[in-house]
Amino acid sequence: MKNLTKTVVLVLAIAVVLTGCKQPTQLINDVKAAIETVTTAGADKYAPEELKAVNDDLTKALDEIAAQDKKFFKKFGPAKEMLVALQTKVADLQAALPAKIEAAKNVAIQLQGEAQAALTETAELLKKAPKGKGTAKDLEALQADLTGAETMYTEIQAALDANDYIGAQDKANAVKAKVAAIADQINAAIAKVKR
Amino acid sequence: MKNPRFAGVACVLGLICCNACNTPPEPPEAARASALEQDLWRAGGSLFTPREYEGFKAGLKSAGERIGAEEAKFGWFRDYTPVQAELKKLVADGEALLRRINDNKAAKARTFALSAETLAARIESLYRITQYFNENDDVRKNVSQAEIKLSEARMLVAKEKYELASATAGEGGLFLDRAEEAAVRLLERYLDSGQLAKWRRWAGAAVEESLAKSTVSIVVNKVERKMTVYKKGEAKATFDIGLGKYGLSDKLYAGDEATPEGRYKIVAKFPASEFYKAMLIDYPNEDDKRAFAEAKNKGLIPGHAGIGGAIEIHGGGKDSLTKGCVGLENKDMDDVYAWAEVGTSVTIVGATGIENTILAEILMFKKNAN
Repeated sequence: MKNLTKTVVLVLAIAVVLTGCKQPTQLINDVKAAIETVTTAGADKYAPEELKAVNDDLTKALDEIAAQDKKFFKKFGPAKEMLVALQTKVADLQAALPAKIEAAKNVAIQLQGEAQAALTETAELLKKAPKGKGTAKDLEALQADLTGAETMYTEIQAALDANDYIGAQDKANAVKAKVAAIADQINAAIAKVKR
Repeated sequence: MKNPRFAGVACVLGLICCNACNTPPEPPEAARASALEQDLWRAGGSLFTPREYEGFKAGLKSAGERIGAEEAKFGWFRDYTPVQAELKKLVADGEALLRRINDNKAAKARTFALSAETLAARIESLYRITQYFNENDDVRKNVSQAEIKLSEARMLVAKEKYELASATAGEGGLFLDRAEEAAVRLLERYLDSGQLAKWRRWAGAAVEESLAKSTVSIVVNKVERKMTVYKKGEAKATFDIGLGKYGLSDKLYAGDEATPEGRYKIVAKFPASEFYKAMLIDYPNEDDKRAFAEAKNKGLIPGHAGIGGAIEIHGGGKDSLTKGCVGLENKDMDDVYAWAEVGTSVTIVGATGIENTILAEILMFKKNAN
């Protein structure tokens, strides 16, 4: 009985050593697949920082595996722990993603509203601007610029409809920037009349 | 030795264990290939070179399986030589692919920077030339749209979205193409050599008349937005002028807000007018009446439209939009009013040359479009 116990302990010890020599290939593949899934779900767009952190952690785990691989006595335990922790991190990211997408959508909608408000305000400013000596020509040209910006405004809604919230944000910001520049020029034209 | 059987088993298991971990080592290229796969993944291999990246992954998988097959063998019988050769090639291919991806990205960034620079220059050029003509709605609308697209593209580049940025900048380029086409349409007749020759002839005749009769002659150049006053054949002064909304078009009928082209005379002077001081010219002349009748016959103008009149040189400022008249700053109007008399010739031409005018740029747009 005593010998049998010793044998079992020895076999287990060898099994542990043998298992320790093996790379956690399945775990690596699972983590990578999870990262691919979360990326496809929009993490690259809506959670780029978190996705980068996850990828960096994966790199660290893979570096650890590569470092152990070079050793005579390989110890993949810490790398496995890193990968298991990473699995949780990716799962958390996956769970948090819908809220992040919703937040991006809300920001896009807010920026769209701001772009619309800027267009309306600038159109009003243009209407009220005195088309007198020295301004009529400039104001006509600025009206054409504003018409161009109004046309581009429609692209914001198109991006929202296509669930491209980051694209919608960029478009709204670009329209806002142009409209702000037009408003500045209108104010400059008005100031020219007042001088 | 208390238990030789236990010792024997322990010895065999010990050998197995040692063999498992201390047999011909796995080729070092395996770790490199594995790391390379990560590098390719992070560099965006799946986006930039998806086919090649998938090929690399397949090669890595195949090599992994062959290593696994070797590992399954008893240590002394393992031979990694064939798979090592395979891995060496895979690593070389992977490194080449990584270089290609990085080069590709750098090239995309450079290409974008160049195209953004070109677009910005085109935008600036179009904004500048639209200062010279008022009928610029189509041009300005498209330039405004292009500017928004370029701004959007720059935001994308900041996020390293080169493909999307280039596509967006490309859309901006299309708006600029349309703006340039609109500018060419507007000014195409100014590039016609026959038309230019006629205008040069008129302007030359006005200067000759001033010299021959020792009188004052006024020449208005619409595209350059200049009025030159000649006295005894010499240019006495040149002033900046303003025209109507459609000032670069030749006046055809009442209300078209175009400025007529031709040889006219001052027929009346008004020391106090709505626009400071004014001098009426004898539009329409015989040529204008002929052109009006022809256009009406061809249905080119509204049936009820008259030929119009009351074309003046007046004050009020060069930046104000006229209804077809020629506007001057009040201080300039004072000079011109003092020098000119009833009967003074006023020659209005579109242009006298292409060089050093916006027409040179319009000509370039036309060539680019072709």
